[in-house]
Formats: sequence, C-alpha cells, structure tokens
Amino acid sequence: MKIIEYHRPERLEDALALLARTDPRTAPLGGGTVLNQPSDQEVAVVDLQTLGLDLLEARGRTLSIGAMVTLQALLDCSETPPALKAAIRHEATYNIRQVGTVAGALVSANGRSPFATAMLATAPELILQPGDEKMAYGELLPLRAERLPGRLITQLTIPSKIKLAYQYVARSLADLPIACVAVAQWPSGRTRVALGGYGKSPLIAMDGPDPDGAEIAARDAYREASDQWASAEYRSDMAATLTRRCLDEL
Amino acid sequence: MILELLINGIEHQIEAAPGDTLFKVLRSLGYYGVKFGAEGGETGADTVLLDGKPINADLYLAAQAEGHQIATIEALGEHPAQGWKRTEGLHPLQRAFVETGAIQCGYCTPGQILASKELLERNPNPSEADVRDALSGVLCRCTGYKKPVQAVLRAAAVMRGEDVEPIAGLDRASPAPPEWIPPEGGQGAPADDFDSSFTTQTRVLPQIKVTPRAEELQRVGKPEPKVDAVKLVQGKPAFAADLEIRGLLYARVLRSPHAHARIKSIDARKARALPGVAAVLTHVDIPRVAYSTAGQSDPIPGPLDCFSLDNKVRFVGDRVAFIAAEKPEIAEQALHLIEVEYEVLEPILDMRQSMQPDAPIIHDEPEYVHFADSDPSRNLAAEIRIDIGDVEKGYEEADCVFEAEYVVPKVQQAHIEPHVVVTYWDEDDRLVIRTSTQVPFHARRILAPVLGLPVRRIRVVKPRIGGGFGGKQEVLVEDVAAHLTIATKRPVIYEYSREEEFIASRSRHPMRIRLKTGLKADGAITANDMYILSDTGANGAHALTVTGNTGHKSMALYVGDGKYRESPNIRFYADIVYTNHPPCGAYRGYGVPQGFWAVERHMEKIAREMGFDPLEFRLKNALRAGELHPFSTAWSEGREPRPETIETCALEECVRQGKAAIGWDQKYGNEQWRQTGHRSSVAGRPDRGQGMGDGHLRKGIGVALVMQGTAIPYLDMGGASIKLNDDGSFNLLIGATDLGTGSDTVLAQMAAEVLGVPLEEVIVYSSDTDFTPFDVGAYASSTTYVSGAAVVDAARKVAERIKSRAARMLNARFDVETFEQTNVKLIDGKAVAPGGEYVTLGEVALNALHHEDQEQIMAVGSYVSPVAPPPFAAQFAEVTVDTETGQVVVDKLVMAVDSGVIVNPITASGQIEGGMAQALGYAVCEEMVYDEKGQPREKDFRDYHIFMAHEMPELEVIFVETFEPSHPFGVKAVAEIPLDGVAPAVGNAVLDAVGVQINANPITPEKVWRALKER
Repeated sequence: MKIIEYHRPERLEDALALLARTDPRTAPLGGGTVLNQPSDQEVAVVDLQTLGLDLLEARGRTLSIGAMVTLQALLDCSETPPALKAAIRHEATYNIRQVGTVAGALVSANGRSPFATAMLATAPELILQPGDEKMAYGELLPLRAERLPGRLITQLTIPSKIKLAYQYVARSLADLPIACVAVAQWPSGRTRVALGGYGKSPLIAMDGPDPDGAEIAARDAYREASDQWASAEYRSDMAATLTRRCLDEL
Repeated sequence: MILELLINGIEHQIEAAPGDTLFKVLRSLGYYGVKFGAEGGETGADTVLLDGKPINADLYLAAQAEGHQIATIEALGEHPAQGWKRTEGLHPLQRAFVETGAIQCGYCTPGQILASKELLERNPNPSEADVRDALSGVLCRCTGYKKPVQAVLRAAAVMRGEDVEPIAGLDRASPAPPEWIPPEGGQGAPADDFDSSFTTQTRVLPQIKVTPRAEELQRVGKPEPKVDAVKLVQGKPAFAADLEIRGLLYARVLRSPHAHARIKSIDARKARALPGVAAVLTHVDIPRVAYSTAGQSDPIPGPLDCFSLDNKVRFVGDRVAFIAAEKPEIAEQALHLIEVEYEVLEPILDMRQSMQPDAPIIHDEPEYVHFADSDPSRNLAAEIRIDIGDVEKGYEEADCVFEAEYVVPKVQQAHIEPHVVVTYWDEDDRLVIRTSTQVPFHARRILAPVLGLPVRRIRVVKPRIGGGFGGKQEVLVEDVAAHLTIATKRPVIYEYSREEEFIASRSRHPMRIRLKTGLKADGAITANDMYILSDTGANGAHALTVTGNTGHKSMALYVGDGKYRESPNIRFYADIVYTNHPPCGAYRGYGVPQGFWAVERHMEKIAREMGFDPLEFRLKNALRAGELHPFSTAWSEGREPRPETIETCALEECVRQGKAAIGWDQKYGNEQWRQTGHRSSVAGRPDRGQGMGDGHLRKGIGVALVMQGTAIPYLDMGGASIKLNDDGSFNLLIGATDLGTGSDTVLAQMAAEVLGVPLEEVIVYSSDTDFTPFDVGAYASSTTYVSGAAVVDAARKVAERIKSRAARMLNARFDVETFEQTNVKLIDGKAVAPGGEYVTLGEVALNALHHEDQEQIMAVGSYVSPVAPPPFAAQFAEVTVDTETGQVVVDKLVMAVDSGVIVNPITASGQIEGGMAQALGYAVCEEMVYDEKGQPREKDFRDYHIFMAHEMPELEVIFVETFEPSHPFGVKAVAEIPLDGVAPAVGNAVLDAVGVQINANPITPEKVWRALKER
C-alpha cells in the first residue's frame, strides 16, 4: 500500500472515527506485515498498538484473543492447542511471528494460510466495532471486502476445550501447503473440517454432529480445486487423506 | 512527519513520510548493517531488534517504531583494537560466527546474529531446534545453515562461561560408526539397529582424508578465519548499495507486460514532466548497440542479440524504459505515466515449438551478430554436434539398449543481495561503476561500446558481493544506471526489487534431455548418446557454453569398460532455442546439474533393471585417473580442444567413505529398514503432527556420482600482484571476485604459505579494474585453482627478492659471504638461514624501502591453465516418502568429494554444505513456471521456496584429498560440484523407497502420488 497518513490513536473511539473515513481510505494497522508491502493503492493507516488489544486470556471454555495479540504470543500461550501451534509455526517464521497479529493474519489470509485454516476449524467468533457485533470467522471470510471497511476487529474467541488436528502436504516442510486440513472436535462430538492450500480463503468442508462423512465432504469440497500448484484430482484426494489422518489423530 | 527514534541507545529526530519503512529510515541514518532482501520481508536480511525482538525493518513503518527501542548490528561489538583506543571487542556471537565459518557472503549475517542474540537472551542454553527456529526468519543461500547453527551453539556455551576449544584443535569426528566403513572392495558390517533420532552435529570441521603431500604445509589446509569476516559480522558498509553520495538519483525500469510484442509507440512526456524526474530514456533516446550480457572472455562465445533498450520486447519483464528520479517513490510514480502502445505478437512458450516451421521469429533484428551455428531465422541460439567414437557401432555391439527422456526446470540463483549498481562520473570524467558483479573486467569490456566510452574511461569497482551463484556473471543492471548517469550527469543507483530478480534476471536453463545407452550383459557401457533441447529464453547469453558443459561433464563420467574404456562411443547433440521466457544464463553448476539429473537417473534405472549393484555398475564404467578426458579432444569452451589426461580421481574412495557415512551397506536393499515406519526426527524441523500414518512412510536411499571441471583450459586467466610493506606485511591485489566463497581467504593463505607469514600479514584487496590485475572473475570453479596459481606465481617472485636481500643482509650482519639466497627460507615472518640466523621481513622491508639499494619488492603473477582437472564426488541421499500424499522428505545428504588439496576446510565445507542446500531445492521444490501468456507464477520467496534453517536435513561433508599435480598446492575445484548430484540422488532414493520413476524434477508430491497411482 502507498501509505499517505499514519495515526496512532490512544482511544478506541478515535480509532473508529478514523476508520470510518472513506477519503482517504483508512485501514487498521496490526503488525503491518501485509499493509506495509508495496502497492499503488493510497491508504491512511491507523496503528492499533496503544489500544490495549493484545490481551490473551483463558475464560472457562474459551480462549479470548485480542486482535493485536501476536502470533508468537499465541504460540507461547499454554492454552493454545498444539495443532494450532503447529499451524502458527507453519504460517510464519520467527521474525514475522513477533509482529504479525492474530487479527491481521486472519483478515489478510488467502487459501494457502495454515493459520487461517486451523483457526477456521475452531469456529472463532469475532467481535467487530463499532457496535460490539459478533460474527463467525467463517461468515466473514468470503465477505471481507464488503464487511470490513470502516470496522475493526477487537477480539476473537476460540473454544479451548476442543481437540484440534492439523495436517498438510507441501513441497518441503516449511513451504506453503498445497493442501492442508484442520479438524476440530468438540466434546459433544461436533466435528468441523477446514480445508486450505487453495483459493482466496480456506473453507469449511463439513461441520456436523459427528465425524461421519468427513472424508467424503473434504474430497467433494476440493473437487474443483485446480490451479498452477496442483490438480483438483490431487487436492481432492489429499483433502480426504489428510482429513482421515486428522480424525485418526483425534 | 517528525519522528523520534531510539536507535542503539541514541535519540534521533528525523523527518519521514508516513509510509517510510524503518528500513528506509535506518539506511538513511547510515545503519548499513540492515540489508534489503525482499519487499515482503521473506529474507530477513532486514532484521533489527525492536524492544529486543527480531523484526523485519522493511515490513515495519518507521512511525510504528516510535516509542520503542531499536537495535541494529552496529550496537553489538566492534574490532577490539582501534589505534590507541581499546574496545570490548566483538560480541561472543560475532566471534563465534567468525570462528566457525558461519559467514560466507555475509549479507544475511547481521540478521542471523541479531535473531540469535534475542534467542540467547531469553534462553541461554538453547537446543539446536531452538536455534533453527530463531534463524527461521533469516534466509541464507550460501551456508546450508549448518555453520550458523554451530556458531550460535558455540556462542551460547561461551556466554554460559564454559570453556570451548579453539576450532583448529577440535577433533574431526568420524561421520559414521567405525564398523560401517567398508574395507576396500568390501562391505560394511550390518547394522543391529537404526538410530533415526539424529540431529545435525555441532561439529565445525569436516572429515578429511588428507593426502600426505599436503600435510607439511603451514597455512594451506588450515581452518583460518575468513579475512573479511570481522567486517561482515559488524555489518560494515561493504556492499555496493552501502554508499552515501551527494545528488544520488534512483533508477527504475518500466517492464513489458507482454511475452512478445513490438513497441508501436512510446510517449514519455508526462513522466518527464513529473517533478523530481531527472531522466526518462526509451529505445529512441540511446544508441542501438547489439551486445551480449554474458560475462565471458573475448570473443564472447554467443550471439550478440541484446540491446539496452529495444523496439521489441521478448518476455514478460523485458525492459521498456529507464527512469531516474530524486526519490524511489517518484521514479515508481513516473513508471505509470509512460504511455506505450504495443503490437502484441504470438509468443513461443514451449521450447518444442521454437524450431517448428511456422513458429514466430523472436530475433528478427538486422543488427543480430551470429556466433558459430546460431540461426535466428529458426530461433536457434546455438547448436552442438559432438561425436566421439562410433555410437552406432556401440549399439550394434550392445546386448541391450536403454532409452528415456528427462526434464529439468528453470530455477533461480536467488542470492539474497539483489543485483545492485551505483554509477557516477569522477573528477576525471571517467565513469565509475560500483557494482555487485562476479566479472568486473568483463563488465568493463562489454559496457564500453554499449555506452560509447573507451574502456580506459570506465572503472569498475567490485565491493563485497552478497552472493552470486552465476547470476552476477552477467551485465544486467550496470548499463541501466550508466545510461542514466550519462543522461543526467549525476550518480545513479539501480537496485533490483525481488520481483525483478524473479522476472528479469537470469536462471538455470530448463532442458528436455534424451538419453540412449547401450550395454553388454556384464554391464560395460558400449555407447552413450545424449540429445538436449535447451530453452535459452529471449537471449542467447551462455546458450552454447552452458549446454556444452552439460555434455562435457555429465557425459564424460561414464566411458564404458574394457575396450570401450579405451575407445568410448559418445554422442552429444544439442539445440539451444529461443523462447519468450526470461533469458537464462549462468547458474552454479553451469549446465552440469541438468546433465547429471538425466545421467544419474538413467544409470540407476539401468542398474536396477539389469540387476547390477548400482555403485559397482557405476564404478565399472566410470572415468579413472590416467585416462583421457573423452571430451577433451572434441569440445572446449571457447578454444580449440586439446587432449587432457585425468591425473587424479578418488571416486572409488569417495564412494567408500560416502557409503559408510550414509550407512549404504546397512540400508540399501534392506526392506526392514525401508519400513522403519517413521521419519527421522531432525532438530528444528516442523512437526506435522501425530497420526501421519507410519505405515504409509517408506524410507529410501540413493546415490549419484558426479564430476565437474576446474576452470576453462587455455582461457581462464587470473592475475595477482603482491607488494611488501614497511612492516613486513603484504598487500595482495587480485582481480578475482570473492562472492562469498572465501576466495579472498584461500588466496591469502596461498600467499602466506609461500611468503612464510601468518595470514593476518596479508592484506587482500579485490577487485577494481583500476588497481588490481586482470582476472576473468568468479566462475567455472576457477578461482582457487587459476587465480591461486597466479597468487603463488607472484608470491614466489616476491619471496625470491626477499631471500636475495635477506642473504645480503645476513652476510653484512655477520661480515661473511656464506649466506646464499637459495638456502634462505621464509618462516614465521622471518628469512631464516640454514643455521638459524635470520632477519625479519620487517627488517628486509625497511632495508629495501629506506636503507640500502632501495627498491619496491613487488611482483605480478598470472596464470592460464592448460588443463581443467575435474573434481569427483559421490553424493548420497536418504529420504522418507509418504505413499499416500507423495510428499518426499529428505532426511540426510552426504557428499564425499575429491577436490584435490583443501586449502581451508572450513570455507570449503561451507561451500559444499551451501551447495547441497541449494541443490536440495532443485530436487524437491524449486522451479519457475509460466502460464500460457508467459506470465510468471513465481515473483517472491513465498512462491519460490528456498530451504530455511528449520527444515534442513542433516548434511555431511567428507573430503577425500588428492594432490593435483598441475597446481602448486594440488588443488581442484570445490564450488560447483555440490550442485550436481543431490537431485538425482534424491530421485534415486525415491525410486528405492517406493519404486516409482520421476523423470522431471523437482520431485513434487503430486508427481510422486500420480506415479504411485499409475504403477
């Protein structure tokens, strides 16, 4: 982005007022790992570092994550599921994890994001301002361009008492995934399968009361998932295989 | 906006734009230790500490950093002695990086050290996995990460107060259990158990089987720290862009969106009118001079088919216009104001279409200058037809014939420092070109006609280079900045963006290779035939010579056995064609990795199908010492071929040592081992979670034997001069270019050996066309051998002058006439007579310069080799293959190499380790892919994945020394051969694991999965 203004408000209200502007287009600045990359688009940025949005807290059965919590902080948190930690390590190197924020990573993710895929499986709930609006991450993902301008994610919650598995295929261990799968399972048996490695965003292949049909659902969800990196035939098969492995792991 | 930044404890108040990155501001303040690697921060060369945490300064706004503590490499230690002032010296991490050889080009070193500093502050006793995770954010293309990891662990021990041994005193532990080392011609003992939980060993020195003739040397063969290491660990402004110069303009290049188009019109008026724009140049503004960008000796062995700017574009990313502006942002803005009307032409994007009768013609310009068989009317850049013996007769005599086709991809050198140049007129109206180049002298010669200047009015200065790997054996950016300096009369800097590196620099040639091999039933090769279709892209630089080397090296290794060994039957034909892909060029290995991918996959197939032991079969047919290099009478790179005998070849011993290190006899053909069922746990590698399904994992082991060359005979020339200073130290001036390889150090070691001084008494300067002798530059694995021989030549002349004067001084001192020059030896900074009488070199210097019969003791040496003695190697790979997903994980790489005498085991093993890591990418993940319009898939390091610290396999290097008689110290090449055998060894290991043939690298998961399905 071509950054033409920089603001570092001390109060949330001030930040929201700035973000409500359309001229110049104004965007929140988390860690900055995405916004600071070169582009011709002019944008004013609102740095959120002084708003106190970096709290990470386990509350009952949920883990409450401030929007400005860094990927490293989430990785270091004892309540973070091990599979989510693996996805964080896969997502970003040590340097990037120090400044990359949870909300920033989620809103800027494309389909090849391990972190967004794993998070999507956990069914995170976002809190958007103004208005304390609650929104599921899965609901926001396809609508980011429409729903996010003028808004600010301040917090998200994920269930902490779930089981989570993450599996991927890549050309090398630290390469971006060609296909990745995260499966979350609640004590009730609810099973949610997220697929990544393709397209503009990860997607939910299945969210059901039990794991039945998960492999088939995963295979079907990637039946058309062809691009320069892999054929749909391969991705579809990997989606099923990795889903099975995730379920085995759980 | 006004910012207050706390940098290294110092408050700075600066004016910055809202979008200015912390990187930009730090550089503007003179903190040159922070380097540019990529706009997306993927390289980590821009690492600084923010409140103690490593971050990417190019991804962080300066404004964001206000209120935080920023630390750069400049905040760490410094040289301990600065005249009368004493400092605390280097930080333990900096010292460890120097001692362990963790620095090659040094471009990423500040980032690695800062990331490690943060680690050791939060964890004084880190595991290797911790170190690798900490280093994960800093890409290194030179080292393979082994020595940086070792450096951090060593520094940690020092900082904990533990005693650590000097590097030179460390044991060189055996790379294998003793019982695994087979007797000559025999097999190692079977293994009782396979310990799969290895970690990369924190051993600095490689295993060396030392040749007796090298044991008596004092400086050669010793693990001396690199002569440039201390400046690099401090992040000193050593690189081309680390320059502050008044009135500097910033260059940008408008690039083509089309793969093939003619420029119908171009209007730059709006761009020129933009305030802050100093110049816009299009093809109508500069002379039209056909040239080649290939940094090679005169005459360049390729067509002249390139123009600084042309009225036609031939690939997506080709040049359209040059801009110079007061600020980079203005230059970027001006790019969008140039109006270009294109006539889009049909592109050629499949090399198989290039020579079809109805194919579009890519080079239709009348100025095209042919070389040899080039024929642009057929899109043919070069053609090779080599027949040795009678291949057809060989087939007739064969009991069986094997044929197959192999494909190799286009890949990138991916040096972390991009191409960068600064040009300016000096006070004598001479054009100074400060550039990151491997070929300063070639660059000067090539640029002169392009710029309309005589050679004498151009001075090319090569500062420190941040990696090159062949990518900087090209005149790629210098003309852009120079044209703009000529146009504006002002200094200009032009630095490639990372995207430009991917879309508009050079790459390894992709090829389609057909092999046909005849064999007797006993395994003797009767005939070997290779045909190559090679895609040179839009220009023919290096087209002939790269592909020539593909055959010259890979097809020379297996000559056959029996009567076929005496008279081999080899055919090597190649067509190198133009396409509308970005041009290819030199890339470490120079065509040979492509050839060995095909040859070594082919040999493996033959061995397996015929039921031969793959190593015995290879050695049965392989070239041996005392035999004629089969291609030496048929083809040479730029000169008439002349017969060349292989004097040294330790291939069999390399096999023996490599087998032991990988456990070949214990693992090959061992089904129980293949099913060990779990991947080896390598420190720091990402955990893919549990439940991978151990039953789906199979292990495999593979090998490739390879050879390279050492310089180009009768062509590569090196020069050196040595000058004695007042205190007995020496200035060594060399035209050779150290691009991170350590050549400055090994050349200094050779000089120190001859002159009998410690290494620190040799001050190295390289390379500057005004001051240093000529050298062809850093390519063809020539520097240690050719430039080294030149150094030895100069040193011997200087040594004789010293000995002569010393004898005179001793006679005068003792009032005798008995001391003779021939009896004086130079030892430890003294000229010593047989009876122990001596004068110091400082005394000799003062005598020569000030006291008596005064003279400057100085000499110039030069060398051209009549031979190119090949290094040989056995490269082994151990892999785990997931039979459900097709994913290949390489667990271990071993390379046992005969590179002659090893001048410096630390720098040489660093070269091998880094080369293996680079070649690993060629094996499994690196490739450049284009769509049907020629648009590139890979434009950054997220899509073009190079190996990171935390995913590396174990690397093992073994040197099997021979004494090459054509060199004063018996050396052969090290630099390129590690690139040759990794990919085929991995391919063969995959075949061993799961029985599928992947004939096209990289070996991606889908290829393996598909092959498994089709089996």
